[in-house]
Amino acid sequence: MHAEHPRLLSVDGLSVRFRHHPANIVDDVSFTIGAGETLCIVGESGCGKSLTALALMGLLPKPAAQVAAGRAVFEGEDLVALDESRMSDIRGNRMAMIFQEPMTSLNPAFTVGDQIAEAVRRHRGVDRAAARGRAREMLEQARIPAAEKRLDEYPHQLSGGMRQRAMIAMALANDPALLIADEPTTALDVTIQAQVLRLIRQLQAERGTGLLMITHDLGVVAETADRVAVMYAGRIVEEGPVAAIFDDPQHPYTIGLMGSVPSLGRRSGRLETIPGLVPTPEAMPRGCRFSTRCPFAAAVCAETPALTEIAPGHRVACARAPIELRVAEDAA
Amino acid sequence: MTGAVLETRGLEKRFVTHRPLFGTPTEVHAVNGVDLAIHEGETFAIVGESGCGKSTLARMLIGLIRPSAGQVLYQGREMSGLPQKQMRALRRDLQFIFQDPFSSLNPRMTIGRLVEEPMRAHGIGTPGERRERVGRLLARVGLRPEHADRYPHEFSGGQRQRIGIARALASGPKVLIGDEPVSALDVSIQAQVVNMLEDLKEEFGLTLVVIAHDLAVIRHMSDRVAVMYLGEVVETGPVDAVFDAPAHPYTRALMGAIPVPAPGARDSVAAILEGDVPNPTAPPPGCRFHTRCPFAVARCTRERPALADMGGGRRAACHLRDELPAFDTRAPEPGRTPGAARRFELWRTARSAGQDDRHRKTTQAEETQP
Ligand SMILES: Nc1ncnc2c1ncn2[C@@H]1O[C@H](COP(=O)(O)OP(=O)(O)OP(=O)(O)O)[C@@H](O)[C@H]1O
Ligand SMILES: Nc1ncnc2c1ncn2[C@@H]1O[C@H](COP(=O)(O)OP(=O)(O)OP(=O)(O)O)[C@@H](O)[C@H]1O
Ligand code: SF4
Ligand SMILES: [Mg+2]
Ligand SMILES: [Mg+2]
Repeated sequence: MHAEHPRLLSVDGLSVRFRHHPANIVDDVSFTIGAGETLCIVGESGCGKSLTALALMGLLPKPAAQVAAGRAVFEGEDLVALDESRMSDIRGNRMAMIFQEPMTSLNPAFTVGDQIAEAVRRHRGVDRAAARGRAREMLEQARIPAAEKRLDEYPHQLSGGMRQRAMIAMALANDPALLIADEPTTALDVTIQAQVLRLIRQLQAERGTGLLMITHDLGVVAETADRVAVMYAGRIVEEGPVAAIFDDPQHPYTIGLMGSVPSLGRRSGRLETIPGLVPTPEAMPRGCRFSTRCPFAAAVCAETPALTEIAPGHRVACARAPIELRVAEDAA
Repeated sequence: MTGAVLETRGLEKRFVTHRPLFGTPTEVHAVNGVDLAIHEGETFAIVGESGCGKSTLARMLIGLIRPSAGQVLYQGREMSGLPQKQMRALRRDLQFIFQDPFSSLNPRMTIGRLVEEPMRAHGIGTPGERRERVGRLLARVGLRPEHADRYPHEFSGGQRQRIGIARALASGPKVLIGDEPVSALDVSIQAQVVNMLEDLKEEFGLTLVVIAHDLAVIRHMSDRVAVMYLGEVVETGPVDAVFDAPAHPYTRALMGAIPVPAPGARDSVAAILEGDVPNPTAPPPGCRFHTRCPFAVARCTRERPALADMGGGRRAACHLRDELPAFDTRAPEPGRTPGAARRFELWRTARSAGQDDRHRKTTQAEETQP
């Protein structure tokens, strides 16, 4: 499967738990990313996508949240087991992250230029002038107009989308081998989004950067992903090559998600939705976590379905897949 | 009277970005001469390039920041001249959903307090009534009543955005301005929130102003749209007309850059608008888009095009407005691939069957009651 992409990161059985919460918020999540490969994670708001990314970066809100189980091997080291000092060598250097909310990683008290230059100096040991030069070059690459001027501006002086690009510039400044991007283009209009995605793709092609991208924009997923993992309530419920996920969605949650995408044509009635709410950790159903909202749920769903291969490289965690067969059986 | 709930006349905002000891300060002309009229009960969308001044315009619309020049009129009255008391009432009528949910929610307040606060500030209801309304609002945006006791940091990005929406609805506003109100949400929750906003609009006769990057969502929910570029409105009109036959080259570029939710459906690289975004402290002369416009002629580099009437409620600011080649409309993209559509049919059938089941069960339960 990964012959063309030498393995960069292998996540195996990763679980994250909050103190006082009965159920894992991220539960037994496994995936791999190869060099130059893009894995997109999609899933319902609140399903644990950002926490998965934060766990890999060693940035979980401690002591409230902890990795309860699992391994995440990156360039030969298990990230979960590393101490903070080793982790901070890797973070922002071999592995970098673009956060969902720019203001969580940009410090309002420092100029944008100082923040990027500091990240460069810290890991590369270059002098001030060189670091500033690198910062300007990165802002230019991230398509920020008047880059030289923007270096001396504070985050609040930038528009929402410019802040996001400044953060992208900072994340890429040290040529990471693995980039984790949490909704990297959400605040951008489609034309800048296209440019930023191209920037990331170029970087991947030139340097073999692996990309873990979290996004709910299925258009972006279709255009950038090699593979897609669909999460629901902390678990990966389906995973496979991008074409398989879009053309042959197997898990009922994925099917509902694809059905909810608005079309670009003229309005035709209300938007489709997946009715109901995500279960709370206190009220997590036994077995399949989607069973409380699934129109196909049956008695078998009280058992936790294993992620099972349904076609080469395409795995699904649903006892009722492929659903047309089960529906036909029920009718018979 | 103009029939507009909100109207702007020659609205401008300049920010000083650098003030040297001597000489002239550097300014960003974030909003430059915007004239808009937003009608009661409509959904008006503002789209445009990142940094083009959408948030700044929206903030001026509700009086959060003062214009450098020009006016904002609410129900025909100029906002900046209003006395304190009327300004308070106006704050109740005009509510805002912020672009960055994290920095707009006080981290030390519980969700319940945050949503209740606008009601308290405007003296709405008794504590009991307010608490009940908080519960209802949270449910409305797809959060659980028990979430009321938690703090913002305990929520995901999309959940925080919904808290912001609940809070904006709390005071019973007449106009709701959403700065990217659904952009942090996955498509199914996004669809729930969009449907909810439409219901609320019906129910309370709300006027909605939405800023969004997702053009499919914009088309679905709005009546009219204004397209901005570098501080100026370059095109405005009924949403279907603008989407089907965009008149301004920038609008065309925007339509061409929409990612399609089907792998391999579009050669994404071909659609990229080339050229750098101009420096907003020194915008290009003439038409501000000429540095990136594939159609630009000499005149565009000198003369600023006016936002001229095109009939049918449309206006566009382009010298070549009437001469451009017809826009090659691609077939409207379906939201889903044929494979996904087939499975979704099964889903729909199963769902309506399930609803029948449930309906039958509840009616049986009712019948068995004494
Ligand atoms: N500090 C915390 N304390 C308690 N619960 C938390 C905390 N942080 C996150 N959670 C919960 O963990 C769940 C997963 O959060 P996460 O941020 O990973 O979601 P997400 O998938 O990234 O969602 P979104 O698409 O909305 O950003 C959410 O339901 C959230 O409420
Ligand atoms: N407080 C401020 N001080 C200085 N410049 C500012 C300030 N606020 C905004 N600007 C500038 O004004 C311009 C317009 O910003 P605005 O936030 O309105 O853009 P936007 O269209 O909302 O963009 P986005 O889609 O990225 O959120 C930008 O060039 C921005 O840098
Ligand atoms: S396992 Fe059952 S409940 Fe879960 S998604 Fe599949 S059919 Fe639905
Ligand atoms: Mg998140
Ligand atoms: Mg903005």
